[in-house]
Amino acid sequence: MMANFVNMQVQGQVYYTKNGRIVFFSKTILENISAENNQVISIINIQTGEVRFSLLNRAFHFPKAKMEDDFNESYMESDRWPRSTFNGNIENSGNINFEDDGNHSVTVTGELTIHGVTRKIVIPGNIIIKDGKISASAAFKVLIKDFNIKIPSIVSNKIAEGVEVTVECLYQKK
Amino acid sequence: MYLIWNRPHQDIRNSKAVEVTAITLYHALANDSSNIKKTYINRIVAVSGEVKRIIQNRQKQQVILLKTNTEHASVNCTLEENTKNIREGDIVILKGVCMGYSGGDVTMGIPGDVYVIRCYPL
Repeated sequence: MMANFVNMQVQGQVYYTKNGRIVFFSKTILENISAENNQVISIINIQTGEVRFSLLNRAFHFPKAKMEDDFNESYMESDRWPRSTFNGNIENSGNINFEDDGNHSVTVTGELTIHGVTRKIVIPGNIIIKDGKISASAAFKVLIKDFNIKIPSIVSNKIAEGVEVTVECLYQKK
Repeated sequence: MYLIWNRPHQDIRNSKAVEVTAITLYHALANDSSNIKKTYINRIVAVSGEVKRIIQNRQKQQVILLKTNTEHASVNCTLEENTKNIREGDIVILKGVCMGYSGGDVTMGIPGDVYVIRCYPL
């Protein structure tokens, strides 16, 4: 009974993707490292403005196997913390008409959890509504030390302190 | 040192795989109390099932969604190379690395998917 009630409330409001894309990029003089994750789950509730992202850290794919292993075993400790998540809200989402095609700059505020650490972040983003689908994109910087991620000194000059994260998702209506 | 730094990723096509159906795999990984997750997570699996849908991700790779017993939930398989040979309704076997279950959102009524990446059709 309770489950049905919740579903009725969200009918027509929830858009989702289970193959969103998040890329991160570390640039140093010695090496540029990037990894991509095309297995991101993201959900937007257009009525409330809530937006959520969840991904499995192990699904980040690096060109080099050693880098991927180090990322999971040493830096992210993916066995201990398999997921990274974001839960937040699109500010002033009531001002966006999701029925009509349009291109909107937005600010998203929420909590980013990586490596067991949660921090509040505010990031600019872009929402495009076209033909009944919603696409969203964002780019922001993450300081890896903010999330207790430790890079051994032997490789610290190959990994940037601030990593560029880009998000690209195409949502369908539930 | 060069060899370690430049070691290639595991050759999926020539590696042994754990054989499992999509329905069994989803049930095992989406269920918190399952003890057999270790059998599948980070392992190469050969998952068989019926193709519910084929979509394209943001990188233009094909993603094959295999049916499970849960509505709106799939075994979500990203292909390493796109193919013209798979259609909706086909029964297929896909070999790839199982990433595990990524939780959905209960309040919004979206169940999670089980993800298999770097897949090749058998």
